[in-house]
Amino acid sequence: MNKAEEISSKQKQIAVSEFFEKNKHFLGFDSLQRSIITAVKESVDNSLDACEEARILPNIRVELNKEKGDRIEFITQDNGPGIPRNAIEDVFGKFLLGSRFHAIRQTRGQQGIGITGVVMYSQLTTGSKTRVISKIKGESSAVFVELGLDTRKNKALKTGERRDVWLDEDTGEEIKQGLRIRTIMKGKYQKGKQSVHQYLRMTSIVNPHASISLIVRDKDGNLIDQGNWPRTTERLPRVVSEIKPHPHGIHLGTLQRMLRESNERKMTSFLRHNFSGVSMRAAREILIKAKVDEGREPKRIKADDAQEMLNAFQRVKLLSPPMDCLSPIDDLLIKKGLSKAIDSRFASTVTRNPSVSQGNPFQIEVGLVFGGDLSADGPIEVLRFANRVPLMYQQGGCLLTKALESVDWKRYGLDHPGGRGVPKGPAALLIHLASTNVQFTSEAKEAVAENEEVHEEIRKALLEVGRGLKNHLKKSSQRKKAKEKFELVNIILPEIAKKSSEILGRPEPNLAPVITQIMNAVFCEEILGWDKERKIATCSIKIYNYTARARAYTILAKWPENENTIMVDNHRGGRKEAKGIWAWRLDTLNPGTCTVVEFGVSGLTKGDWVDTDIFFRGNGEIIGATKIDESLLDEIRKSEALILAEEEIEKESSNLEPLIDRAEENIHRDLSETVMKSKEGQLSLSEWEVE
Amino acid sequence: MTLRETKSKKEVIEALHGVAAEMHDKMLKGKPPAMTLPVRTKKNIQFDKKLQVYKYGKNKSTRDATALSSARVLLRSLHITEFIEEMINSGKSSTLREMYYISEGWGNGKFGTQNESNNLAEDLEIVTKCIREDFKLRPEEDGARIIGNVTFEEKNRKGEWMRINCRDDVGDSGYGVPYNVESEKLRLVDQDIDFVMAVETGGMFDRLVENGFDEEARCAIIHLKGQPARSTRRIMKRMSDEWKKPILVFADCDPWSFRIFASIAYGAIKTAHISEYLATNEAIYLGITADDILAYDLPSDDLTKSDLGALESELSDPRFATGWWKEQINLMQEIGKKAEQQSLAKYGLDFVTDTYLPEKLAALGLNY
Repeated sequence: MNKAEEISSKQKQIAVSEFFEKNKHFLGFDSLQRSIITAVKESVDNSLDACEEARILPNIRVELNKEKGDRIEFITQDNGPGIPRNAIEDVFGKFLLGSRFHAIRQTRGQQGIGITGVVMYSQLTTGSKTRVISKIKGESSAVFVELGLDTRKNKALKTGERRDVWLDEDTGEEIKQGLRIRTIMKGKYQKGKQSVHQYLRMTSIVNPHASISLIVRDKDGNLIDQGNWPRTTERLPRVVSEIKPHPHGIHLGTLQRMLRESNERKMTSFLRHNFSGVSMRAAREILIKAKVDEGREPKRIKADDAQEMLNAFQRVKLLSPPMDCLSPIDDLLIKKGLSKAIDSRFASTVTRNPSVSQGNPFQIEVGLVFGGDLSADGPIEVLRFANRVPLMYQQGGCLLTKALESVDWKRYGLDHPGGRGVPKGPAALLIHLASTNVQFTSEAKEAVAENEEVHEEIRKALLEVGRGLKNHLKKSSQRKKAKEKFELVNIILPEIAKKSSEILGRPEPNLAPVITQIMNAVFCEEILGWDKERKIATCSIKIYNYTARARAYTILAKWPENENTIMVDNHRGGRKEAKGIWAWRLDTLNPGTCTVVEFGVSGLTKGDWVDTDIFFRGNGEIIGATKIDESLLDEIRKSEALILAEEEIEKESSNLEPLIDRAEENIHRDLSETVMKSKEGQLSLSEWEVE
Repeated sequence: MTLRETKSKKEVIEALHGVAAEMHDKMLKGKPPAMTLPVRTKKNIQFDKKLQVYKYGKNKSTRDATALSSARVLLRSLHITEFIEEMINSGKSSTLREMYYISEGWGNGKFGTQNESNNLAEDLEIVTKCIREDFKLRPEEDGARIIGNVTFEEKNRKGEWMRINCRDDVGDSGYGVPYNVESEKLRLVDQDIDFVMAVETGGMFDRLVENGFDEEARCAIIHLKGQPARSTRRIMKRMSDEWKKPILVFADCDPWSFRIFASIAYGAIKTAHISEYLATNEAIYLGITADDILAYDLPSDDLTKSDLGALESELSDPRFATGWWKEQINLMQEIGKKAEQQSLAKYGLDFVTDTYLPEKLAALGLNY
């Protein structure tokens, strides 16, 4: 090697490690505590993504063993599809491997530089190689290989490669598929809000289909921390489809590149084939506004014209991009995930409809848990997620937090001193932003950047769970009052009568008129249960008339009606009033009497249905039930009808696809108007019952 | 008011039955059982000009069984009634704390805290116009200690009258005042003193005892132990009434000590139903006064926010409505300072007995 070559290779070597060194705060390797979290994060995210793509329910194991000094043995293992032998070098050895960079769909996203960072970091801090075992289903043996990084060539160095049967360390059984990574790195294991434990706990909440476990040992092999988060659903996140970019979210550089790489011969077809949301009419309109002839060849469009087109994109009415590129967690699963991780009394979750900001589809999900073991002093726990990835740092600077802080929580029953900052109380709040393009404040990707539309969507979702909480608190205080009254008339009062009669040597008085006088109300009490044998969720509603007059009511109950559930054991009959609302007309309820409405719901699992609402129609209040608002009930019926109509139109529109642009466009316009209308009319139950 | 007439067993039981009867009668009429009693808050305390003490006003509250918590209290009162009746019939007595533990066996009538049982015992005193001695209930609180040339006769456990001289028959800690100082238990037999000195803190009590102040100044020294117990106030009242000796109160100079004096002289909110038996209207506040802080240049602390609040509310308190008290309170607000009794030690251990007290007593015409 001559001098020049030597210098240049040295420079390169310096360049790669220097790149790492200089950017380690972006890459998440800036402190010993954070490095270990980042390493776990890269590895677990990869496992989850791989399993999701291969449609496998993931089992992920993380093991950290402290060694002397700051050294930690790092092991992760999954049951994913494994990595083909010849791809291992690329996956572990190349910075910025960009397979995800061009596809537009929701992914966990490349945080930092991926698993390569782990290999690099280990090598730089301890000189350790990364041992990888990869087994692909159906292959007779697994690949065992040790990887280092050639910092000169920016690629992996394989050593000791062999093929062998891979046996489970604990059971001795052969492992059919999966990936295991082991290395030694410098790091510091810590507990608390920013820890591996917290990261995995949060990950398990938003990945209810994954089973995750953690084992941490000190240098003498003693267990010092562990976690086990089994899956709560067998349902994998839905397959997300890739979509074309939407003109509203495109930058000049991207547009120019697309033009350059295009094979279309006409501008109209270029626009229609490379973007989502552009109809023939819209394409023409854009080109007219941009003063670009529709017959021109895309490859020959210059920067000035591209800029004109970019401006035109904003002035032309475009269809929204399709939403099947998003994978929300689903509110029932969030509820399950939260309940698994946090012991609480009440959970309320909301999955908003997808929405668009600057051509990027996004969707907000929010979950709130309250009461139980949660600590009542101090701020509530905020769990932030972007595309199912926990955000653990920079809470204060994050859009999700700011949206949370903008809500007046005092109105919803949380302590919110001065109406500023994070509210206080025994609650935890989850906010999940799913988007094809999550904008962060910095490369560290820990805080979501400002965006008005996203902010507003989060606010709306928060208000909805807030109303749920307020309703819950009101209900539990009513329930408490009712319980006290029952105890009073059923237990204490008879004792007072007995004792006073004994002391005075008099006969006991008749308490019936006294009880009526004390209660002077109709009470309603509902109990939700679970029939283990028959796998049926049960609901029993008791109505007591403790007034001096006979009463007549119709009782309405909310139940989880969907395509999987059926109402059973409903011996009283009654009728459906709206989706999820059933009504029973009761016979006259005489003073001092009680009646029961019972039914069951099949198609649920235990814990799915823990909270309901009872309404009534009739004169006189019922403590424990809410008088139904007929006008809002009408609105629900209307919005239901709209959704049905929308589905009909959707079906038709898919049949009409091959037809001419104009027809397609008209239907789309109708559809989008329908969608708009249904959005306005889409008042959920929890929204109107409170008001 | 000197000697309270002791109620007979029958009278006490009848009075308690009245409480049960009120409840039973209500239920017979189809109404929730109830108990009527005066409102026991500062708002319903009036200064009785004739008796010169604090008494409850006319506001009555009805505790009825329309809420669970009140219903529980009613049930508890019935259990207490039954319990007291048993004690009266079997000649036993119990402490309030014992009653609290005994209530464990009362099922739904058991007490949540001892405070509840103490308050309810007081409620029953008020409603029945009996006192807790009639109910055979004893407090936990310690009675005062007394040293000086006074002689009492106390009925001991064997039922014999025991003669005790509080100078010759006691040690340094003095004579311990029993919880019941009514005439069936304690007689004031003899004395050779000029006045009674009630001292707030234990440290000052011990200082006066060590310096032989009781003999030198011909007085009985009583240790109040902070806010004085009922029996302490009652025995002072009896010494004042039966022996016609002045009661002088020697306390810290702070708003809370002023309240101690007020409860001795005019009665306390909690015991306003028996103020005429407990309050010694003739009691005199000797010191430490705000004047003293300045006159003797005593080491002092700044008044806290709550001190200032207490002073402010004392200005509207009928018990401090004299010109002298207003002057003292205003002065204290002005200088913003408070001082402890023991700050007198600044000038040596004997200063209090050699200089301070002689000077203060001389001002009252009590020379020695």
